Amino acid sequence: MKLAPLSTVGNAHDDSVWTAAWVPATDESPPLLLTGSLDETVRLWKPEGPQKLQTNTGHCLGVVSVAAHPSGRIAASASIDSFIRVFDVATNNTIATLEAPPSEVWQLQFNPQGTILAAAGGGSASVKLWDTAQWQLTATLSVPRLEGLKPSEKTGSKKFVLSVAWSPDGRQIACGSMDGTISIFDVTRTKFLHHLEGHNMPVRSLVYSSAPLDARVLFSASDDGHTHVYDTEGKTLISSLSGHSGWVLSVDVSPDGMAIATGSSDRTVRLWDLKMRAAAQIMTGHTDQVWSVAFGPPIKTDVRSCLLASVSDDKSLSFYKYA
Amino acid sequence: MACLYIPVKSSEEVVQVALDQLPLDATDIIDILKAEQAPLNLWLTIAREYFKQGKLEQFLQILKDGSSPEVDENFADVRYERIAILNALGAYYSYLGKIETKQGEKEEHFITASHYYNKASKIDTREPSTWIGKGQLLLAKGDIDQAFNAFNIVLDGDGNNVPALLGLACVYFSRGQYSDSLELHKRALQVYPQCPAAVRLGIALSHYKLGHLEKAKQAFHRVLQLDPENVEALVALGISDLQTNEANGIRSGMEKMQRAFEIYPYCAMSLNYLANHFFFTGQHFLVEQLTETALSATTHGPTKSHSFYNLARSYHSKGDYEKAGMYYLASVQEINKPHEYVLPYYGLGQIQMKMGDLINASSNFQKVLEVQPENYETLKALGNIYVQLEQKERAQQLLKKATKVNPQDPEAFLDLGELLISTDECAALDAFETAHNLLKMGNEEVPIELLNNIGVLHFERGEFELAREMFMEALGDGMWSNFVDVKTQSTQYPTGVSSSLRQHMELRLFHRLEEQGTSVELPWDKVSSLFNLARVLEKMHDSEAASILYHLILFKYPDYTDAYLRLAAIARAQNNIQLSLKLIGDALKVDEKCPDALLMLGDLKLKSDYWVRAKDIFLTAKEANDLRDSYATVCLGNWNFEAAYRNEKKDSKFETMHHQKAKGLYTEVLLQHSDNLYAANGAGMVFAERGHFDVAKDLFTQVQEAASGSSNVQMPDIWINLAHVHFAQGNFALAVKLYQNCLQRFYYNTESELLLYIARTHYEAEQWKDCKMSLLRAIHLSPSNYTFRFNVGVAVQKFSSSTLQKTKKSVDEVQATITELKNAVRLFSFLTAGSDLRCHGFNKKKIRTHVRYSQHLLHVAKVHCEVAEHVEQQNQERIKVWRQMELADESLRKAEEQRKLQLEKKKQEDELKQIMQQEEHLERIKEKWKSNASTSKRKNKSHTEDESGQGEKKRRKGGKRKKEKKTRYESEEADAAVGTQKEMEHEDATCKYQMNDIEDQVKNNPQDFLAASGLEDTDAEDNAPAPSSSAKGRRRALSESDEEEPMNVGGGVEDEK
Repeated sequence: MKLAPLSTVGNAHDDSVWTAAWVPATDESPPLLLTGSLDETVRLWKPEGPQKLQTNTGHCLGVVSVAAHPSGRIAASASIDSFIRVFDVATNNTIATLEAPPSEVWQLQFNPQGTILAAAGGGSASVKLWDTAQWQLTATLSVPRLEGLKPSEKTGSKKFVLSVAWSPDGRQIACGSMDGTISIFDVTRTKFLHHLEGHNMPVRSLVYSSAPLDARVLFSASDDGHTHVYDTEGKTLISSLSGHSGWVLSVDVSPDGMAIATGSSDRTVRLWDLKMRAAAQIMTGHTDQVWSVAFGPPIKTDVRSCLLASVSDDKSLSFYKYA
Repeated sequence: MACLYIPVKSSEEVVQVALDQLPLDATDIIDILKAEQAPLNLWLTIAREYFKQGKLEQFLQILKDGSSPEVDENFADVRYERIAILNALGAYYSYLGKIETKQGEKEEHFITASHYYNKASKIDTREPSTWIGKGQLLLAKGDIDQAFNAFNIVLDGDGNNVPALLGLACVYFSRGQYSDSLELHKRALQVYPQCPAAVRLGIALSHYKLGHLEKAKQAFHRVLQLDPENVEALVALGISDLQTNEANGIRSGMEKMQRAFEIYPYCAMSLNYLANHFFFTGQHFLVEQLTETALSATTHGPTKSHSFYNLARSYHSKGDYEKAGMYYLASVQEINKPHEYVLPYYGLGQIQMKMGDLINASSNFQKVLEVQPENYETLKALGNIYVQLEQKERAQQLLKKATKVNPQDPEAFLDLGELLISTDECAALDAFETAHNLLKMGNEEVPIELLNNIGVLHFERGEFELAREMFMEALGDGMWSNFVDVKTQSTQYPTGVSSSLRQHMELRLFHRLEEQGTSVELPWDKVSSLFNLARVLEKMHDSEAASILYHLILFKYPDYTDAYLRLAAIARAQNNIQLSLKLIGDALKVDEKCPDALLMLGDLKLKSDYWVRAKDIFLTAKEANDLRDSYATVCLGNWNFEAAYRNEKKDSKFETMHHQKAKGLYTEVLLQHSDNLYAANGAGMVFAERGHFDVAKDLFTQVQEAASGSSNVQMPDIWINLAHVHFAQGNFALAVKLYQNCLQRFYYNTESELLLYIARTHYEAEQWKDCKMSLLRAIHLSPSNYTFRFNVGVAVQKFSSSTLQKTKKSVDEVQATITELKNAVRLFSFLTAGSDLRCHGFNKKKIRTHVRYSQHLLHVAKVHCEVAEHVEQQNQERIKVWRQMELADESLRKAEEQRKLQLEKKKQEDELKQIMQQEEHLERIKEKWKSNASTSKRKNKSHTEDESGQGEKKRRKGGKRKKEKKTRYESEEADAAVGTQKEMEHEDATCKYQMNDIEDQVKNNPQDFLAASGLEDTDAEDNAPAPSSSAKGRRRALSESDEEEPMNVGGGVEDEK
């Protein structure tokens, strides 16, 4: 289990790079990486080279999230101005512009089937679900208050929803909020199931395990510097991984389900061996917060390995080979 | 049978006196001598005989009668014998004086002796034997120079006078001129080879003193050959044998001493050496007997001191410190200079140290060091005394020297290290590590305390990995290694525990382990190291493992409050306030006065806004603390500082009161600990608050320097405060730089509050773009803080209106402005729409005003845009016209040129062809010229007309601008409101303050607004630093307790030792 640095694009954007997502390969193109930045652009990269293929404009205020449809043909990006722009990856033609005021938009995720786009709705304390055929708002999954807790005057009673993740079967959604709680929803019944406790600081990134037998395992990254491993069914905290000295801003799981990668404000990318529950490797290439880490699909020539991308406030983008 | 014959007066007869049968009553003899008028030499012989037989009384009686006036009369012409008798008496009294111990009687004897010698001199001043006697007397009195003269007088008369030679040799010996002494001894021997063994003793001693040990030895042997019973020679040889320090030498030395003892049991030297020997063989009874004899046998100071020393040492080793001390003291008192005999000083020092008389002990050890500056034991002992006397610098010097003298002894390094801990961590670490290595090399057991201390020092220096290794080494193997080593942890780590119960999980884990039969052991001496290990793990961000270790400590030692507090700190760092409160509560259950727990509690209460409760807790903590720790006082200062802004309404009296209180508290701390950075920071805050920016800046700068010099002081507040002051003084660039440095250095760029300060500074510096970017970053970091969104809106709005006010602006600029304004409108309307949903604390109305204003601006901007587009269009048209004109001009010129060419050609042709018809042609040409000129004039005319047209347009535009100015005036007013509102936002973020006044001011007197806003600005800045810095101060609570604990633990360990 190892990360080997491949290449780094300095000044990949004109300002801090805040988000990254892999676009699955299509018939015409290999897997590509989408990045979004404070410079209000979304850029498309080919990891070989690496080569910049496109610069998409059209957002105002920083781009906070990008997500790619499983087909690899369309993608969505969201910015602080709360617009979601859905576009054709190849041509950059706008397919739809989505907004659901007064809900702002943070993390975006397509479901594995590609039929629904989920958007973390910030202060609306909900996850908005958009139908990808008509681009209509189909459902709003609202996070209920924790029972027994009184709303405190200052922070407000609502959960501010920051992050969202789909379970591999597309039936469940987990969303993370500013106060650290994670909420689990049954999507098919649009029903809130339960909370997962353990964090008390913002949960900025969530991902379900990709290992076939661990589909109920959820990884969460929080500002408290920890990555938690939850059993979403048993509502339990399985393990807590500490080691980052700053906020954990992003977490992603490797395609083989054996490892997770985390990016932190402490400027490092860590690779964690899930069996050992310990950091297997620490990458120190970035000079500022690492806002996003993303595992790509397995490499065709070597199925056991895949690419990992990380983007940072230092405006750069790095590729690693995970094997 | 030796007999003496006394001739009978005036007859041939003699009286036979058997020398061994001298009558007991000397009077009989004297009567005979007198009666027979026996020659004086007979008197002398008989007296000598008495002396030899030890009958001193008779001896004296004869001599005294022999020197009586009666005899003088009878033998007036017999000079030599009379002198001899007197000299004998003189010599006897000199001897008596010499051996007398009582000072008074000694004097008396000497006086008597000199009386006789003087009497002898009266008979004949040149008699050498008298001078020799006088010389001896002077020697005995210690009057060496006069003795020298006396002997020389003799030698002037007779250079080979043996006694004089020996006397002079003695003088030289006493003067330390050993080679001269040796020469004289040799001369004496040459003159009188049969002289007694004692002369050779002189040679031997001279050799010895000269360092010719071999020759000295030979000489001593020679003495012994001549006189096998010579005690001095025996003792001297014995000493030299002993000094060889070999088993054989020592044995034969001791044999000689023993023989000397047998020959003459009162030789103090041999007694001392024997005692010394028995001291080492442990026969203390013998030591005492021997030394007591020696003491009674000698008056010689050094020898006595040696005896006392032996005695003292014997008692010392038996543990009778009182007696030992007494004898050491006696021994020391016998010594004039420590150089002569230094050992008793060391012994005395040791005893005094034992008895706690450190001052005297140190002076005695110092004396030892004067003689032997490199004596390792003494250096160490004196160093220890200084440590106890708290003279750290001197102690350091000594211990450093000790470690230099003997770099192989870990003990001194240990002492040195402990001494240095508080002053020079680096050197302390070096010392400890050396000790550690030495112990390891010697395969000795390394004490846990040492490893622990090394670990703590590494910890202090931020070398966490090394610290961790040390603590692990200190702990050795145990169940804790399972938890530190994450790899094995996973098998034992419980799964499936509800997260809300996590706080008890670890305790349960240990219970379960015990139930399973695994013994959970934690020896008490390892608790400190375990705790420290947990601290290191925390620092290495492995708070999971750390918390398990803390729980392990608590499982075995539930009273270990520090572990509770660290767990509380971990919980707090993860924002788990409830758990943190609970853990602090647990700690307070153990010790309800635990100041650290109280302080943390107060801090938490403050954080959760239990304002009054927090103050009470700080007060309790302060009381519990006495004066030991100033932290509570600083907290109270901070509390008062913040309290100044608690009121909704601005009340300067109230503020002043709290500022004064805060200042008083900070000063209180600074008086006790002038190096308390936090109190200095607080004082700076008050100064800044009262408008003394330069004083504040000075203070902050100093604190900043101090803080950045130390690796384990993390004090971002000081950077922020300094930046605030620069900001208040208008040094925007510097302020931004400081904020940014702070953000990067302490917060990994994640503190959105600092971004807000940066944005505010950019705002004041009218760097709108930077302002906006900073705010966007802040939004990204703290998405739920709507203040940032609001501020972005304000910044965009301000930016836009300033763009629109520019006289020159491109269409692109205006268009960009329009998009920006749209964003602003969107942001504001989001905030309005969301205000029902969210409690972000601002007034809906205000947002609506912003929305309206932005929309208005947007509208204006659109007009601007049209205008700009129009202008642009016109510009383009004008450019077109210009181009056309230029083209026209060009073609004209070209045409002219062509014409000219043609003309010239024609001219040439004409010239060639028709020179004759010149005049006629000229006329025609002139006409052509004229026509040309008129056409060009016409063109020029049209040109100017164009220009005037443009001018009109310009004018028209100018008119329009006037109109616009009106709107701009309005906008300015609104702007002003915006400005103040923005400031208010800052205050909103911290504490609400005094917005209404300013708004009123603006409303009532819009023209004065700028001035007002200027004033307001400085006020606002005053306030801006305040809450933040104190907020930071609060945050420090944790970090300070962080830093203190390991030190405490280190100290604890030392105590345990």
